[in-house]
Amino acid sequence: MPEVVPQSETKNSPPPAVPRKGPRGEVTIYPTWCKGCHICVEFCPQQVLAMDASNEHATVVHPEKCTACHFCDTHCPDLAIVVRKLE
Amino acid sequence: MSEHILEAATLKKEEALLPQANWFERSETLQKLRKTKKFPTIWCAGCGIGVVMGALIRAIDHLGLDNDQVALVSGIGCTARMPVYMDFNTLHTTHGRALAFATGLKIARPDMKVIAIMGDGDALAIGGNHFIHAARRNLGITALVVNNSIYGMTGGQYSPTTPFGRKATTAPYGNIEPPFPVCELAIAAGASYVARSTVYHALELDKYLTEAIAKDGFSLIEAVSYCHTTFGRLNKLGTAADMMRALKENTIARTAFERLPPEEQAANTKIVRGNFVNIERPQYTAIYANLISEVRGGEK
Repeated sequence: MPEVVPQSETKNSPPPAVPRKGPRGEVTIYPTWCKGCHICVEFCPQQVLAMDASNEHATVVHPEKCTACHFCDTHCPDLAIVVRKLE
Repeated sequence: MSEHILEAATLKKEEALLPQANWFERSETLQKLRKTKKFPTIWCAGCGIGVVMGALIRAIDHLGLDNDQVALVSGIGCTARMPVYMDFNTLHTTHGRALAFATGLKIARPDMKVIAIMGDGDALAIGGNHFIHAARRNLGITALVVNNSIYGMTGGQYSPTTPFGRKATTAPYGNIEPPFPVCELAIAAGASYVARSTVYHALELDKYLTEAIAKDGFSLIEAVSYCHTTFGRLNKLGTAADMMRALKENTIARTAFERLPPEEQAANTKIVRGNFVNIERPQYTAIYANLISEVRGGEK
């Protein structure tokens, strides 16, 4: 039986050994609008987001962990994050 | 559509690799923004006003209102910059007079949903009279007061909602005045819908804003925010994320507050959030229209 890989997986992140249960999400950050306030990074319950090397913008480091809780896109003061729930 | 944004923003090489071409189409919220404006917004990194803007857009979107049906009126201040970025009818007026202009607009166009967006100093100090009289008349306006406890734009002077003992640039040894309870003031003045929430509880804010905009009568929403740049720095309250976490820890829902024993209620220092008043009262523009038709002898 072929292994089911969620759409949120990218080439850089290896797929989890066991497909995770529950809803999945896809996070997109628009870096030109992000002011680097750390709110999304500090509050993300799954540590999907982290600051980039220059500490100026948030970036998505673990896209496979996102559970589409929509905390980051509702609390981003600059509306720089869009979370799409994957079907 | 997003050509303006791409031109206005100087993209870095690695950023250009990201999919920006369809940025505005990706989210319902972003489609309500004014696309010709320069982004990011003027607010400090992490300011809660942006969260309130997102909540307001989602509330209007949830009600299914057309962009031309909504009018946003604002005065002067950090919060008053909010309508500039949104694609509705907007009126940017003088300091504290947002409700005065909104009163005229609502009487001239009673079919419009008029939302007055004010900061705490704008609504309660400079525009304090307009606030109580708009509530007394029960005009069908939604007053959105973003309370960040300070005058942010002018450099951190203490405002009518600065908590007792907190420092500000004009109160270096601590504020000696008790703060205005915004919701209680509106209830006493006769508002028909009063609710308070915080920027941490953004989805709750959505819900209250949706109910307030749908309400036919004066509705007040107090959105408790923070100013980490001046208020937070002077009072050593940490970064924007720390202050947002403090809003989570230092608030209590109204239903939980009412279950507390009376002595604990009296000793409560947390911010009580919830819907305090939701009553039906005759709305001003309806009474006014009746009076006009009466005076004219029934003819219209």
